[in-house]
Amino acid sequence: MDYLGFVIFGFVMLGIALLMVFLNYLLGPKAPSALKDYPYECGVPLYDKSAQATFHQGYYLLGLLLLLFDIEAAFLFPWTVVYRYLGVFGFVEMFLFIFILIYGLLYAWRKGALDWQFEEEYID
Amino acid sequence: MESLFVQLLVIGIKILVILGVVLGLGAYLTLVERKVAAHIQRRPGPMVVGWHGLLQPLADGLKLITKEDIFPRAGNRFLYNLALVLALVPAVLVFAVVPFGPEFEVFGVKVKPILTDVNVGLLLVFALGSMAVYAIALAGWASNSKYALIGSMRKAGIIVSYEVVITFAVMGPVILAGTLSTYEIVQQQINQKLWYIWLQPIAFVVYMFAMLAETGRVPFDIQEAEAELVTGFTVEYGGIKFGLFPLVEWYVEVLSLSAIAVVLFLGGWSPINIPFLGFIDPLFFLGPLSPFVWFILKVALLFLFVLWLHWTLPRYRIDQITETAWKVMLPLTFVNLVLTAVLAPIVWR
Repeated sequence: MDYLGFVIFGFVMLGIALLMVFLNYLLGPKAPSALKDYPYECGVPLYDKSAQATFHQGYYLLGLLLLLFDIEAAFLFPWTVVYRYLGVFGFVEMFLFIFILIYGLLYAWRKGALDWQFEEEYID
Repeated sequence: MESLFVQLLVIGIKILVILGVVLGLGAYLTLVERKVAAHIQRRPGPMVVGWHGLLQPLADGLKLITKEDIFPRAGNRFLYNLALVLALVPAVLVFAVVPFGPEFEVFGVKVKPILTDVNVGLLLVFALGSMAVYAIALAGWASNSKYALIGSMRKAGIIVSYEVVITFAVMGPVILAGTLSTYEIVQQQINQKLWYIWLQPIAFVVYMFAMLAETGRVPFDIQEAEAELVTGFTVEYGGIKFGLFPLVEWYVEVLSLSAIAVVLFLGGWSPINIPFLGFIDPLFFLGPLSPFVWFILKVALLFLFVLWLHWTLPRYRIDQITETAWKVMLPLTFVNLVLTAVLAPIVWR
């Protein structure tokens, strides 16, 4: 029952969001023209019709790191709540866990995963 | 049966209040931002529509909803619209777990000014906050424009970096409070006579950085970067759809994350705190209204601080932003976590 308000609020917001999606269609004028829906590219004809192409590989690395560290954060949250009742045992256990986390971060750092990898020979 | 009806009535009123605060105030914050920006740059800002531009947000909204519905021809229409829904819904839902004040009694019904006081409130905030990344990635991808794709990838990279930082930063206050419920965290700060900012200055600074990054505010607004990407991932959106993305990103999210910062670090609705000794309330003459005023005052101050930064600083590059997150902010949060674990028994006694 705790979540009743949350669920109702969720459905209300979903309704509002759907209304927003269709609002321009309902209220706006409809005057299509040949170039109105042309993708924006500084007014020149598109060199490449599709923009859903490759992008910088640094973003993949960031996503990979997020997965690892966010899962570890999920492990730490229960500990933070009950830490008061765990005493020295809880402190030592979690210190070891955080130590392993930091070691993982250092490993990624040394491997160069945290650096934004430009191809330096082209920059120089 | 009677109690269920009362419960539903209370929920309905709370939802209306939250919607009024978030969407109404959110729209008016655009005017606040334009006025603050204008005065920082020594110009008057909007003056024409209404007294000192007071009706400007209404005029803007009316204009936005009567624009033509244009869709970029090579895009994906379903994902294009889904991105808008995914951006708006989770950002506003965060307010369901923001406590606006202490429990009070009306007509014999005890009312907590928080929509759902669940015991995992804080976890809910970050779960919903992570949803923003889908909205942005989809918006850039479905628009099928190079500017939009670059902008959305930058923003997604920033969010995934600072998502980790912000979750580790909030662990300090959670250790001190021993609960994840937002209402209980404030209650604990009042019981312990301590705003957690006094023991968590590192976490607070890191949290503020992460908040600026997640909401795309200067100095982390590289996803928008007017000069190079025009407006980033919103470039192919038009009408009210274009209006909603900045509304969600710059106002609703800043407001919700400021409110969470106030809850975690600045003692929620409690008045000015002297560590371990007690509270001083210069607004005592407001009586039962004073906690609500304090809460609004603190959130407003944080919001104005963000605006002040926005119109003062230059912006960083994407590699500088993400490297700061992983190399400076994340180690700082680890240090803070261990320090807090050592110091926490002082607070609990």
